[in-house]
Amino acid sequence: MSDSHSAPHTSPDRSVPPAAGDLRPFHLPAPAATRLDSGLEIRVLPQGRVPLVSGCLVLDSGETAVPGKNAGLAVFTGDALLGGTEVRDGAALSEALEELGTSLSVSAGWDATTLAFTCAAERLESTLELLAEVVLRPAFPQDEVERVRRQRLAAIEQRGKDPGDRADDEADRILFPTDHPYHRPLGGMRETVPELGGDHARGWVAARYRPGGAGLVLVGDLDPAEADDFVAAGFEAWDGGPPERHGLPPVSPPEPRPIVVVHRPGAVQSELRILQPSPPRAHEDHLALQVGNSILGGSFTSRLNLSLREDHGFTYGVHSRFVTRRPGGVFTISTAVGTEVTVDAVGEAMHVFNDFVAKGPTAEEVARARDYLAGIFPLRMETTAQLAARTAEILIYDLPDDEYQSYRERIRGVTPEMVATAVGTHLTPATAPIVLTADADAVVPGLEALGLGTVEVRE
Amino acid sequence: MLSIHTRTHELENGLTLVLAPDASVPVVAVNLWYGVGSKHERPGRTGFAHLFEHMMFQGSANVAKSEHFERVERAGGSVNATTWFDRTNYFETLPAHEIELALWLESDRMGFFLEALDQATLDNQIQVVQNERRQRYDNQPYGDWDERLQAMVFPPDHPYHHTVIGSMEDIGAATLDDVEDFFRTWYRPNNAVLTLAGDVEPLRGIELVERWFGEIPAGDPPPPPPGIEDPGPVIGATVRDRVHADVPLPRVYVAGRVPSFAHPDFYVADLASSVLADGRASRLYRRLVRDEGLARDVVSFAFPLVHGRTFMLSWITGYPDSDPEALETGLVREMEALESVTAPEVERAIALAETQILRQVERLGSRADLLSMNQLHFGDASRMNHELERLRAVTPQRIRDFARTHLGPDNRAILTYLPEETE
Repeated sequence: MSDSHSAPHTSPDRSVPPAAGDLRPFHLPAPAATRLDSGLEIRVLPQGRVPLVSGCLVLDSGETAVPGKNAGLAVFTGDALLGGTEVRDGAALSEALEELGTSLSVSAGWDATTLAFTCAAERLESTLELLAEVVLRPAFPQDEVERVRRQRLAAIEQRGKDPGDRADDEADRILFPTDHPYHRPLGGMRETVPELGGDHARGWVAARYRPGGAGLVLVGDLDPAEADDFVAAGFEAWDGGPPERHGLPPVSPPEPRPIVVVHRPGAVQSELRILQPSPPRAHEDHLALQVGNSILGGSFTSRLNLSLREDHGFTYGVHSRFVTRRPGGVFTISTAVGTEVTVDAVGEAMHVFNDFVAKGPTAEEVARARDYLAGIFPLRMETTAQLAARTAEILIYDLPDDEYQSYRERIRGVTPEMVATAVGTHLTPATAPIVLTADADAVVPGLEALGLGTVEVRE
Repeated sequence: MLSIHTRTHELENGLTLVLAPDASVPVVAVNLWYGVGSKHERPGRTGFAHLFEHMMFQGSANVAKSEHFERVERAGGSVNATTWFDRTNYFETLPAHEIELALWLESDRMGFFLEALDQATLDNQIQVVQNERRQRYDNQPYGDWDERLQAMVFPPDHPYHHTVIGSMEDIGAATLDDVEDFFRTWYRPNNAVLTLAGDVEPLRGIELVERWFGEIPAGDPPPPPPGIEDPGPVIGATVRDRVHADVPLPRVYVAGRVPSFAHPDFYVADLASSVLADGRASRLYRRLVRDEGLARDVVSFAFPLVHGRTFMLSWITGYPDSDPEALETGLVREMEALESVTAPEVERAIALAETQILRQVERLGSRADLLSMNQLHFGDASRMNHELERLRAVTPQRIRDFARTHLGPDNRAILTYLPEETE
């Protein structure tokens, strides 16, 4: 349909932004919660905007639970899972999924292994049949296991050559003691991955891929009763109680503050990380810290980005974030800056970080961050895949069922005092390690002169 | 078939408005495409369209530097922009009651951008963009692949010969006069499409857009891109570039010219690349990753570009000890073997594309972007609803013919990355 329309043009008043209209309600329905006798938690949320269904199966099978000598096992097992089942080989499995237009991904993180898919609504039953087959009857044939091992080792080599990954891995190694799982890269090391084989994967599945402690989320254009039937048909034979969970020791930052430069001769840019341990996802200060992070480095107009990018032109962008895991997390400021301005950029980033923690945010900044986080929330709950992933997080992190229904109200209740207190309690710029992947010859003398601590160079 | 209901409205100044109402969530996507991209850049100013996009966030008559981001974030929205070969897009997704804020911001810079222009912000954004280039191209393993491939696939007098990011030197050479000329030439309402998708009633949308954009004067019709439009259907030879670099694993790229996005045969190239590398049942994954253990990962796609011809490329990454010749031989063999593509393979590729298309329209932001694209490039926003039919029109026989005409040795740019010798 097309039309043409002419109206007399009077100039609107452009000197001030137009007033907002009336706020429209955003209602986020809660998923229906049930539990199979096996312990498998089920969450189903009908949402019919498009004829799609997204699903997440979360298993209590994170890399945190892997003993150090097998580091990388959860990731290895996840990658090898699509290598075939007792009834069809890997190629046939891929064909069966892709005929349905379904791409199924398996990703192992620190806290969980997640199998995620999005399929056309009318193909949900067939997709769930295949999902159950993959989880309940994996075969780990030898050729697939060997291929995945080679791929994992190549991925480790690749991380070593990527300046950003290199900085991230070095940062974790410095922040966490050697006996802590977060000391090592998520996917394991050159020393551990070559030892992993089919028996390890089968043992891991027997120990961790269990309905106890697991959850299945389905969101989209579905009939709840029918979805329940599909789930029951696929997963009723699955049994096994919840896997063991071990706590992790609290982490205190190493002192004095380490400053480490991973030497990359001739690098035109330096990858910079400033980091420290932070509270777990379920901590009561979580929202106050999210608001604080938005002000410091979590939004485009954050203090760090306005200074390092928009005032100084040191970088294309700088971000900070709290990575929140079940037993504890990491706060990181990340950026990539030109080699010749690296020293100035480190000095300025530390200045902004110190100043924010020492003086706290202004009331205006907190109001702005609250409005941002509350307003953007519906945009982060837009698709079936986003809704399924967020709902799965409730299960992974043992959050209250109404976490998202109450989110906007809770975020609006965050005060400047709460942010100042949370930031002052949990962030300690004076001891936060500083890690760079950079041309050491170009940056080390200047870094020493900043007086932040002794600089160590690693090859 | 998709049925996204659309309505278009043209302002007197030539701005085309696309409306796609959907009240299922209280959100609106505001999406503005300008018909200017890197293909319009003149020699010595590569990367300028993208640098200009950065300048559009540096303020206008009534909006201060950084205020655009600040206001949209405060309103609970997201905002960004991207520059591409054929176009530049600017977009905000906001709570629906804040729609007018986005229209105020976008119209202020479309109409009154030059009043806020100064040397200090240009100097700052040149530094920011040069850092973007360092981060994405110069300090990244394999980061310069597109620069090297485009230079081989397109001749120097074709505008796809150079990348969107441009050269460090050209970025640094930009002047205020360049910014002003570029704005006056390209950033006119008659060279733009504005889409409003989401919770906005069409008549209200028209009224608001007339209010904020109606007084902005039209410009002269924009000139064509410099250089030639059609460089011919194939490269005409096998050309090579071999790079020893600080990369962890050997990688081989093979690229060639294919019909433009505006041609029905583009969908043949699109599906051919999907048969090659989408999913684990794809040919490259099955043969080279699974069966032969030659490659660690495989990728293939065709760029949806409209100026004369576009290009399709495939790459495979080996293992630390892989023989690069074997990688190249394996990749080329599988591309040629598309002459034996089967119906089930094509059906799988279409099934995957179907899910993907639904996922794209599910997000209001990407739905609005597709509508703007179809309106600007094809003069018909609702063309989006027929994407799947265009894919379904591709038969195995058309892919076999395409393999013969486009994937042979007369249409290959081969780029090989090899790890540097280490001591």
